[in-house]
Amino acid sequence: MSETLSEALHKARATGVEALDEPLGKSVLKSAGINVPRSVVVKAGDDVAAAVSDLRAPLALKVVATGVVHKSDVGGVKLNIQDAAAAADAASDLHEAMRKRGIEPEAWLFEEMAPRGVEVVVGGTMDPEFGPMIMVGLGGIFVEVLKDVAFRICPIRERDAREMLSELNGAAVLKGARGGEPANIDAIVDVLLRVGGDEGLLMQGAGELAEIDVNPLIVSKHAAVAVDARFILRKEKAINVHA
Amino acid sequence: MSTREEFRPLFHPTRIAVIGASTTSVSGGNRFIRNLKNFGYAGAIVPIHPKAEEIEGLRAYPSLADVPGEIDYAYVAVAAANAPGVVRNSGGKVRFAQVMSSGFSEVVGGGDLEADLVAAAREVGTRVIGPNCLGTYSPEARLTFTDKTTSEPGSIGVVCQSGGLGIDIIKRGQNRGLRYSGLVTIGNASDLGASELIEYFLEDDKTRTIGLYLESTREGRRLFDVLRRANARKPVVLLKGGRTSQGQRAAASHTGALAGSHSAWEALCRQTGTVLTDTLDEFLDVLMAMQCMDLRPSATSRVVLFGNGGGTSVLGTDAFDRAGFSVGAFADGTLAKLEALGLPAGSSIANPIDVPAGALQQNEGRVAENIISTIAASGAADAVIIHVNMTVILGFRHVDMLGNIIQAALRVRAEHGPGMHIVLVLK
Repeated sequence: MSETLSEALHKARATGVEALDEPLGKSVLKSAGINVPRSVVVKAGDDVAAAVSDLRAPLALKVVATGVVHKSDVGGVKLNIQDAAAAADAASDLHEAMRKRGIEPEAWLFEEMAPRGVEVVVGGTMDPEFGPMIMVGLGGIFVEVLKDVAFRICPIRERDAREMLSELNGAAVLKGARGGEPANIDAIVDVLLRVGGDEGLLMQGAGELAEIDVNPLIVSKHAAVAVDARFILRKEKAINVHA
Repeated sequence: MSTREEFRPLFHPTRIAVIGASTTSVSGGNRFIRNLKNFGYAGAIVPIHPKAEEIEGLRAYPSLADVPGEIDYAYVAVAAANAPGVVRNSGGKVRFAQVMSSGFSEVVGGGDLEADLVAAAREVGTRVIGPNCLGTYSPEARLTFTDKTTSEPGSIGVVCQSGGLGIDIIKRGQNRGLRYSGLVTIGNASDLGASELIEYFLEDDKTRTIGLYLESTREGRRLFDVLRRANARKPVVLLKGGRTSQGQRAAASHTGALAGSHSAWEALCRQTGTVLTDTLDEFLDVLMAMQCMDLRPSATSRVVLFGNGGGTSVLGTDAFDRAGFSVGAFADGTLAKLEALGLPAGSSIANPIDVPAGALQQNEGRVAENIISTIAASGAADAVIIHVNMTVILGFRHVDMLGNIIQAALRVRAEHGPGMHIVLVLK
């Protein structure tokens, strides 16, 4: 297991949480070779404006708080922050808003916003019979309403990854349907292999992870960037994939 | 030991012990012995009974341990609670014990008994098949577990989780012309699972196609690995029970294991080239196609339809289109050659080729051979489907039109080799 993944899992276990927080999840993705936005984590109360000065606007701000897995559901996300002063204001506004909901923010995650592109979802689950499975779908209504997703049992090979994408009903969107720019298919395939391939995160974490959710992975013509990531830890013992 | 040698005692047993035959009534064990005798089983049959000296005219022994020599296959049909003891007290003589009894993990509270059965088998070095199954069919060895089975061996090897459905697969299949190299019902698959049997059928020279009826697996990773390593070198056809949520609930009480999510099984099939079917008929249809056809080295995509009946041609074209095949127009060269055949009026030589029965009877139906031969020579098709409307064709009693079409197909296949599938659909 990669050191970052095993350290992250160890740390999460030690503190008794059921999921990795977003900065930790992203560091795991980054260590696996998956693009994540440049970011800084600022502890609640620290100087925001100074901390974000190296980042290139526009920025996204996300709350980091134990127990908050769906940040946008609690209003814990702000987008399109244009400069350092606005970042500081956004953090203090959000602090107020979170407290009203009874959430005590621990830190702020500031990220450079990814270039525009097609929203893709990459997921991982543990099937009770076959162990780690990887899923891919297109973001928004494709996943949520149409359930347009493709599954494979891990480890996948490059051919599996390409077949998963071509199997999606909305595959045309990736090729630039309706005047959009085509998405970089190779970049998605690369992410799928880094999550679900032989040495991928799902195979490495099969005993410890219950779920991985990279949503969205924003895929432009040039690259794929994981804008949000959830790693849920499993409670019971897993299928041994290395038998 | 190769998998093939390891499983030889199961598919070609020389001594079979039967536990659960009665002196006073006709139990499952008695019926098994009678079926074996009727089927012409030539090896030794040894009934086991605590008191009887003789059962079904055969010398009985008080326990498996008392039987002189090795026992390749033991048919165990005793009350579930007694099954672990039967295996444990076998003196390590038994290679395969198939336990038919129910009352194990498929019922609430039966899990411990099943674990004890498996533990007993491991202690004495016996492989357990089942429990909660019906038996094994190996026509070449004249081994069967039901009556009226054909002894003609074939090329299809089947692993079936359900016993009753195993009988359906044998009988319904054999009536339609399917012939088997073997069929094993594995029930709860407590010890021997599908993947090891798949490995056997992959190694077995006589088996060309593998059929699976599965509701669940306790060895998903191994199944995935075995099927992926097989790399579709023999076609594998899966009938998966419990693919709907209500079906899953039914399967959970049938096999004692939680039937998996259908996404995983669909993924398994896509990743391993396994053909997934939904109904028993579709399963048997695919096995039949595999039995009749030689595999081509490349994918079959271009189909030519030829037959009598315009409506059938159109429906057939729709069906092939839906299944992802191309029923494309002919290139000019091929079209010219078909035109040069001078087919009778009323014929259509575009793809699909539609020749009315009245036209087919010309020259005693030999026009069919010219058409198939022209298509084969043109290289325009991966498969030609000849569909014959039997009610119409059989009305032409003065010529043997059907015979001529069949002979034509055989001659073209012999002449042009396996480059193009020739499929004759008589209906």
